[in-house]
Amino acid sequence: MTNGGLWPQVERLLASVERPARYIDREWNAVHQPGADYRAALVYPDTYEIGQANQAIAILYATLNGLPAVVAERAYLPWLDMSTAMRDAGVPLFSLESCTALSEFDLIGITVPYELTYSNILEVLDLAGLPIRASERTEAHPLVIGGGPSAFNPEPFAPFFDAVLVGEGEEAVADIVAAHRAAKQSGLDRAATLMALSAVPGVYVPALYRPEYDADGAFIGVSAVPGAPDVVTKRVLADLDAHRPPTAPIVPFMDVVHDRFGVEVLRGCTRGCRFCQAGMVYRPVRERSADPIVRDVLAGLACTGYDEVSLTSLSTTDHSQLEEVLRRLQRRLEGTGVSVSLPSLRVDAFGVEMARLVSAGGKKSGLTLAPEAGTQRMRDVINKNVTEEDLLGSVQRAFEAGWRRVKLYFMIGLPTETDDDVRGIGELVGRVFRVAREATPPAQRGGLRVAVSVSTFVPKAQTPFQWDAQLPLEEVRRRQSVLRESMPRKGVELHWHDSDVSFLEGVMARGGREVADVIEAAWRDGATFDAWTERFNPSRWAAAFEACGIEPASIANRERTPAEPLPWDHISAGVSKRYLLRERERALTGELTPDCSFESCAGCDVCQDLGVDIVLGGVARG
Amino acid sequence: MAEGEFRLRVRYGKVGRLRWLSHLEIVHALERIIRRAGLPYALTRGFSPHMKVAFGPALPVGTAGENEYLDVWLTRYTGVEDALGVLAACAPADLAPNLARFVGEKEPSLTAAITIARYEVAIEGKESSTENVRTALESVVSAGTFEVEHKGKHKVFDLARSLPEEARVRDREDGSVVDVTVRMGSQGSLRPELLVVRALETASVDATVLHTTRTDTLIETPEGVWVRPV
Ligand code: SF4
Repeated sequence: MTNGGLWPQVERLLASVERPARYIDREWNAVHQPGADYRAALVYPDTYEIGQANQAIAILYATLNGLPAVVAERAYLPWLDMSTAMRDAGVPLFSLESCTALSEFDLIGITVPYELTYSNILEVLDLAGLPIRASERTEAHPLVIGGGPSAFNPEPFAPFFDAVLVGEGEEAVADIVAAHRAAKQSGLDRAATLMALSAVPGVYVPALYRPEYDADGAFIGVSAVPGAPDVVTKRVLADLDAHRPPTAPIVPFMDVVHDRFGVEVLRGCTRGCRFCQAGMVYRPVRERSADPIVRDVLAGLACTGYDEVSLTSLSTTDHSQLEEVLRRLQRRLEGTGVSVSLPSLRVDAFGVEMARLVSAGGKKSGLTLAPEAGTQRMRDVINKNVTEEDLLGSVQRAFEAGWRRVKLYFMIGLPTETDDDVRGIGELVGRVFRVAREATPPAQRGGLRVAVSVSTFVPKAQTPFQWDAQLPLEEVRRRQSVLRESMPRKGVELHWHDSDVSFLEGVMARGGREVADVIEAAWRDGATFDAWTERFNPSRWAAAFEACGIEPASIANRERTPAEPLPWDHISAGVSKRYLLRERERALTGELTPDCSFESCAGCDVCQDLGVDIVLGGVARG
Repeated sequence: MAEGEFRLRVRYGKVGRLRWLSHLEIVHALERIIRRAGLPYALTRGFSPHMKVAFGPALPVGTAGENEYLDVWLTRYTGVEDALGVLAACAPADLAPNLARFVGEKEPSLTAAITIARYEVAIEGKESSTENVRTALESVVSAGTFEVEHKGKHKVFDLARSLPEEARVRDREDGSVVDVTVRMGSQGSLRPELLVVRALETASVDATVLHTTRTDTLIETPEGVWVRPV
């Protein structure tokens, strides 16, 4: 049943569910190609409003729809009211564009954005009527391929996927589709198809790898079957300018997160914060040049009608031509009411200057800065190259320029943290508040706000802190109370990241394949939408760990030795273990490592090993 | 209207799948259509400038509308046909503008001017014959008043006033259609499908409302004549 067979059944359910706009398709720029002979469904495993703005999906959607005779359609996880109604009515999970059951597609690509969406993957597969484990799928089922930020430790969700793409998808998806089509044409069975896919660079086929244990049951590594590569290395694009990003993205009808036109201006970040997985796995820095950025912004605005454009990346204010780009855009957008936004700001004079440039004449939304730690010692440990003077100077300039709100991000539980470091956060916030107050005219001081958001450090795979222990829950709670006592109350809004959530994130971030059983058990017990505060249930997860005989603390709260095999050792981001270990040692001695985009190579090896270069302003540094 | 601004009144439809959009979603979509069309829209003054645009009475989620209206202020005069052409080209088919004219600044706003709305309520089900529906409807309408609870509010509609024309029932494939004309007042307007649903329930008729369409929104002149805003 192709070509929209399910719409009449879907529409019958809409009157009784919240926000039917999630399910209706027909958005501007959505692609409808009924005639294509290879069909891919791109799935974001959360609701439409969370997933719609995902740029990776937008890029893959445009790429796949540009291939001859290939169509890509979208699907999202329906909210609980809709999935219940669908199950009751026997309606399977469907794609938006043609309202076709996902099981009818050749390929289902599911992006895996974040640890707390793992349970949703099972919900997607089950709602689509597919066996949740790859090993139970037959020739009749689509290939289920994952990808995204979580692919750098895919083990906890590996058994649910036929394959996982590691790294950037622009070129890889075409290779995957070509390999799959060739396999179909030569009539290969599922096993042979998977073997053929494993030959595509960056593609990890979990079924071809086995975790091994010694006689005591200790994990000793993952081994590949003969014919599959021992290590799967990430895909990376050498030149972003060679891949024009989609300038006709889908314009949603309903309110979604990041409801604006996004243009990626650079990829990667080499500031080298030691806790940051994105900074390690998306190296090296590749900037797009100013001309195509400006061109794409104007073209995208014209064909979407958005009133806001966001220049996106891990660290947009690091772009070497940002000032030029902003000045040109300002000139072109004058009088249109269209605003430009920068998602992340540098904690220095330049960052504030850029904020001033984007909000000139318009409304000043809050300023967001991330000092991450409260003391210089701690900031040196994590290689956050930011001083207190930088921070206070930025706050002063911003409040003098008319800002009245600043939001600060901090973490507790970083390696080597002491109570003094924790109290240092409260003290620093106090000084920020005083500086902000001084810089604000007395009559306006009532509206002054400092919002403080504190999360618990979660060690991530593929970072210098991947060997470190996450703080146990009781200790997190104790430090939270130390912080609370040192935090000024007046004018400060304190917001905590739930420590139970951080604990589960920590287990998922560094767990091995055994964690898949736990995810399945929790999902069978009703876990979905764990990233939604009202849905997250720590005791359900505790019960699932218990039922599977797995001690989550042994994953999250245990320090590993450098010699110990790690569950993700067969996945390479191109950054060498030698470099990660060296960075870890430098962390302990508080030694800084400069940004290799602007100073000398720090020796992470990614450029040499993957044959890519730092690209600044569109020009490879060579 | 600031000097040098031109008030363009545009008629559009909210039909097909897009009837599932909320009023706010429709407002955002139409603003985006106007921006895509590249019309020289005026901006409001103030803290956070945005497009100067005003809409007629809201439609609920799930209710289609065949003749809906908006006013958008332009900073430059643009030929009506040209403006309409680019608007339609930049809109999804189910939300396409299809008529426009310039109106004077003295004319009252769409929400104030539009007081009459015509609806079609489509009914399906085993007992959805015109006969059954007509009888059911008559008994509810003859009561003279209609009470509803909505979001904790109790409202009483005087049907002689709320229904300026008699509701009519006609045949459709697999059921029937009720044509209802409603007068909108300051206390809100009667939702026609509520009237129909209540009638079917009260008379225990095994039929349900399939969908509702507002077929017209009209201005009542001081002489009591109903006219379209464009
Ligand atoms: S190899 Fe050197 S230049 Fe390239 S990203 Fe790593 S540290 Fe930077």
